Amino acid sequence: MWEIYLLQGLAGGLVTGSIYALIALSLVIIYKSTQVINFAGGEIVMIASYVALFILLYTGMSYWVVVPLCAISTFIIGISFERVVLTRIQGRQAPGQSVLVAMVIATVGLSYILKGIIRPIPYADEVRTLPPMMAIDPVFIGPAVISRQDIAIFGIAVFSMIALFVFFQFTPLGRALRATADNARAAALVGIPVARMRALVWGLACGLSAIAGILIAPKILMTPDMGGLIILAFAAAIIGGFTNFPGVIVGGFALGIIENIVGLTISSNAISVTPFIVIILVLLVRPQGLFGGPSEVKKV
Amino acid sequence: MGNLTRNLTLAAAFVVVATAVPTLGSIYIVFMANMILMYVVLAIGLDILLGRAGQFAFAHTAFFGIGIYVTSLVNIATGMPFYLTIPIGACVAGLVGALIALPATRLKHLYLGLATFAFAEVAQWVFNNWDEVTGGANGLRFQPSQTGFGEITNDLEAYPFVLAIAVFMIWITRNLELSKLGRSMEAIKESEHAATASGISVNRTKAIAFTISAVYAGVAGGMFTLFQSYVHPDVLGFDTLVLVLSMIVIGGIGTLPGVIVGVVLLGLLPEVMRGLETYQEFIYGIILIGVLMFMPRGIWGRIMSFRESMNAEKPEAKSTASPGEAP
Repeated sequence: MWEIYLLQGLAGGLVTGSIYALIALSLVIIYKSTQVINFAGGEIVMIASYVALFILLYTGMSYWVVVPLCAISTFIIGISFERVVLTRIQGRQAPGQSVLVAMVIATVGLSYILKGIIRPIPYADEVRTLPPMMAIDPVFIGPAVISRQDIAIFGIAVFSMIALFVFFQFTPLGRALRATADNARAAALVGIPVARMRALVWGLACGLSAIAGILIAPKILMTPDMGGLIILAFAAAIIGGFTNFPGVIVGGFALGIIENIVGLTISSNAISVTPFIVIILVLLVRPQGLFGGPSEVKKV
Repeated sequence: MGNLTRNLTLAAAFVVVATAVPTLGSIYIVFMANMILMYVVLAIGLDILLGRAGQFAFAHTAFFGIGIYVTSLVNIATGMPFYLTIPIGACVAGLVGALIALPATRLKHLYLGLATFAFAEVAQWVFNNWDEVTGGANGLRFQPSQTGFGEITNDLEAYPFVLAIAVFMIWITRNLELSKLGRSMEAIKESEHAATASGISVNRTKAIAFTISAVYAGVAGGMFTLFQSYVHPDVLGFDTLVLVLSMIVIGGIGTLPGVIVGVVLLGLLPEVMRGLETYQEFIYGIILIGVLMFMPRGIWGRIMSFRESMNAEKPEAKSTASPGEAP
């Protein structure tokens, strides 16, 4: 009996976990190059899924058009937030801890603005969900059941991660972004436009969140408060030490699976507290993350 | 204006406002005053950790909740007067804070923020699910607080006590600011390495700051039980933390008058925005980001730099201008 639970949990967990991994990657990309934790990450996901909902309801376009449109709109949100708000905050305060505090609080402000934009719209009154991307008829993998749509979600998520990897590893722009994240001063010395790279990172991460938003919206209920799922991405990112990409992806999958198994074996009530317990446990045992290197000490 | 006359004027203004509140005749105004005084204590507590010691901690609502539940449960169980139950609630909050501080002080800014955030969410989950003790999602109904002479049954009766506690906590904070501990925290905020080099025990100071901050939250929780009759775990969530955080940031992080200004402004904001409730979140976010962008040291910081630039125009007062912010 328990093997079925385990298999079912694994299958379902891999699907949701792939989405968590995507969102977590978007957090980590931003953190690595700007040191900011983006508390508005969940709201970017939320905005993207609502934009998708509006486009689908009003125009009936196919998902092939909707995904790029959503990604472009959150890309613009991300870039403008960095350009307009963060650069200004950074320019006005003395560097150090307090400017980071201010920047993180600004992302909290952004999350309120995004929620505030969606909430008055009539569609946000009732709980909605995106129409299924494709037939949801079940496929059997051994004794476990999984829907065709879930397989597509998993496929798209994994494809996005591979695309991201290829982008960072092999394209000149991706390498410039990595150089900026590793050492902004050195990157500037070799002629990389560091400020533009930072804005681009925000745009890229928000575009990635949009894909995650469209993938997760058919599976969960959409409300203006659905951004709370960001906490799962935080937990996944922490497992990966907030810097290690493969670690973060493993963290995303691990969290999806843990969550599913907790739901199937303990209680559905305990699901909501699982990511927080994971965060606390990981930080207690290995503060730098299960995959992070030795914790670094900054020079004065 | 000399320092003494200024302080006396401020004190006089405070006494006038404080005594005027109950005579205005509306019980709602008294309720608002109680609420604002409670938020003053809550916000000062968070500011000690965030604004003074520079520690990124988001667990404040958890300690606030512990203060509320412990104070009211002790009151229900024993019927002791509030000047015993509130210290008990504050001590329990401080104790939990100290326990959390031991592992938390090992964590650097980002991780500390996430760990304390996670702790606050776990605490809210416990408040929501520990049905036998906290009443779970049904909330907890308080018993009227005892004064030793009778019961506090409404906002008006609670007001003098709430006011007294708030003034007492502000006075403590003033003393803390000037103490060795207060200056050690300031040093850690500027640079942990430099603080260590000057012989400050960084981890111990952080842990003490954490504990003190939790005690303030616990006291605020106790004040909540004085004038409220009911608590629901929903008020102990991230939204309340963001509210308190915004009060600090908008008023002026790390300054006592700034925090008080921020609390009063944001406390009155729902009144100003009557009828605009649907847009509340949006307006809120805009204000928060706007202050961060255009007044990096908050409203109080803006007032102070304005005064400094006024002084700087007189040549003899030039040396008082602080180098902190460019005009």
